[in-house]
Amino acid sequence: MVGDRVISDSWDWIVRVTDWGVTNWSHPGEPDRGILPRLLQHMRLSYLSILLGLAVALPMGLACARWKRLYPPVLTGVNVLYAVPSIALFFLMLPYTGFSDWTAIVPLALYTLVILLPNVVDGLRQVPDHVRQAAVAMGFGQLRRLVQVEVPVAVPVIIAGLRVASVATISMVSVASLVGLGGLGQLILSDGFRRQFDAPIVVGIVLTVVLALVTDAVLVLAQRLLTPWSRRGGGGPSRADRAAAVPSGTAATVGGPRTADTAGTSSPGGEAIESGSGSTGEKERTWRS
Amino acid sequence: MITFEGAAKLYPDGTVAVDDLNLTVETGQTTVFVGPSGSGKTTSLRMVNRMVEPTGGTVLIDGEDVRRRDPAELRRSIGYVIQQAGLFPHRTVRDNIATVPLLLGWGRARARARAAELMELVGLEPSQAKRYPHQLSGGQQQRVGVARALAADPPILLMDEPFSAVDPVVRAGLQDELLRLQRELRKTIVFVTHDIDEAVRLGDRIAVFRPGGRLAQYDGPERLLAEPCDAFVESFVGYDRGVRRLSFFPARELSLREDVVFEDATGADRAAEAVRDKNEPWALVVSADRLPLGWAGAAQLDRAPAGTALGALDLASYGHTFNVATDSLRAALDAAVLSPAGRAVGVDTDGRVVGVVSQEDLGTALWSVTA
Ligand SMILES: Nc1ncnc2c1ncn2[C@@H]1O[C@H](COP(=O)(O)OP(=O)(O)OP(=O)(O)O)[C@@H](O)[C@H]1O
Ligand SMILES: [Mg+2]
Repeated sequence: MVGDRVISDSWDWIVRVTDWGVTNWSHPGEPDRGILPRLLQHMRLSYLSILLGLAVALPMGLACARWKRLYPPVLTGVNVLYAVPSIALFFLMLPYTGFSDWTAIVPLALYTLVILLPNVVDGLRQVPDHVRQAAVAMGFGQLRRLVQVEVPVAVPVIIAGLRVASVATISMVSVASLVGLGGLGQLILSDGFRRQFDAPIVVGIVLTVVLALVTDAVLVLAQRLLTPWSRRGGGGPSRADRAAAVPSGTAATVGGPRTADTAGTSSPGGEAIESGSGSTGEKERTWRS
Repeated sequence: MITFEGAAKLYPDGTVAVDDLNLTVETGQTTVFVGPSGSGKTTSLRMVNRMVEPTGGTVLIDGEDVRRRDPAELRRSIGYVIQQAGLFPHRTVRDNIATVPLLLGWGRARARARAAELMELVGLEPSQAKRYPHQLSGGQQQRVGVARALAADPPILLMDEPFSAVDPVVRAGLQDELLRLQRELRKTIVFVTHDIDEAVRLGDRIAVFRPGGRLAQYDGPERLLAEPCDAFVESFVGYDRGVRRLSFFPARELSLREDVVFEDATGADRAAEAVRDKNEPWALVVSADRLPLGWAGAAQLDRAPAGTALGALDLASYGHTFNVATDSLRAALDAAVLSPAGRAVGVDTDGRVVGVVSQEDLGTALWSVTA
């Protein structure tokens, strides 16, 4: 029967790939060879990129939310950066960072900004005006208001951005294998592509996808724990699902419609939507001092 | 005591939000700012806690210019309630209420104990302490807003349309609650509203603002309704101000008739005779313990077969009653207008009939008190 042959062929193939994966998982005494070191490198590169990106996006977003005129040029700059092909950025970094992790981390962190910065700004903007004013009226100073009220209320939107950014980054790390980094990407490029051998490619893809899923799950959990007050609890359908579809280099699609999108999907409540329109259009009151 | 001395606010775009406001808010009283949209009520209110800095004149609290106080410290000593409550969505009810105590460095345990006290004061269940604001109804959110404003026991309370986002029934409940609280706490309250009825209900004094941020009239509610100073105030307080003013006169001064009230066991013929003698068109039938049952018309009594008890007749509904001890002339008039007999039924606090009053008798009484 043809069907039986297809099944047994597929089965053989799975066994072969798994075998390859198991035998090459790690080589004791040779810490640089094998799948595990590459997985760990992949995690290191992507997590450090995301953290660095967040560390830059937070102050940048706070500044852009505070001085509104700063935002359009900064956003344009970030979008333009995103349009630079990643491979070009990696090579541009080489003279400064050599073949160190930073060659991958710095460009990848810059790419996360295109997602994280608008989310930080939107998150802060959707803090309902009445909440902000209540904080002023209670006698919060500017810094306290930011730290104790505005940033916490923005957290669900920021985490929504982190989810998209982390999946995007995890998939993009592989490209850095072209400059000798790239974690699981190296399985695909050097072991698989150059040697015309499919097992490493399959293992590379599967582990990348699993890493992305696990990371996303951790972020969802983090949101549940950090924002028990949020109506959605972070469990709703999120843009992370669509993140894989964000092709690198299409800055226009990423920069444009996101604003409305984020406010809609990840706002912590009905009020947020109402204030979204309020904070952009309406007259500014003098409650600053 | 809060004093506005020639306070003015001119925005850079040329809008005059408040123009030369002179007004004194007495300590321990509720002063209401009322006026059409854009007449500078909120702006004036916010001058008190320095959320708005006047561009002219001064605002003083107990004689001290507010500009000499540090804004954050000043605000912690003044409660503030706004329309959508402005609760912090990421904090529980308890922690929302404890906000200012925590800012004042009270320590968590003491702040939470205080929050629990306030929840009781404003009528919230202890079980709601750990809820988040979005898990509460609009009315409950407003209560939390009021509790939060009162948490550090500030002598002054600023309230900007605090009840305008809830439905009329809940609003009336919240107003009652505020009146009760105020009797207990005697805060200096400045309350902003669009709604003249709310102003009349809550205010010891009412400041009517006109467009352009000018004060049109500042008076007690009764005086405001009786003598609006000009056409603007008159139209703002509404054409039914005469009726509204009746709320200030107690119904207990009405003289009620008891001679047309009969127990249901009474024979119809006896009632018919009594009513005919007094030339009264209606008799009120009550139960043995004097709860109202309904009206019987004179013609109906005449037609009733001999020996019929009043209770066996098909009675007209008595509509709604007014409480002689606590209601105002306005409630009595309302009851009379809505009654099929044109007569209002006055009851005591237990709902037992004290007597009835006709529209004519009411008219005479109104004439004598309001003239
Ligand atoms: N930041 C601002 N810049 C310019 N004009 C302002 C500003 N804030 C308020 N105004 C204007 O000042 C005037 C008074 O505003 P205010 O908010 O005090 O009115 P209000 O009586 O509270 O009205 P409402 O009943 O609608 O709340 C309005 O015309 C308003 O548009
Ligand atoms: Mg206002």
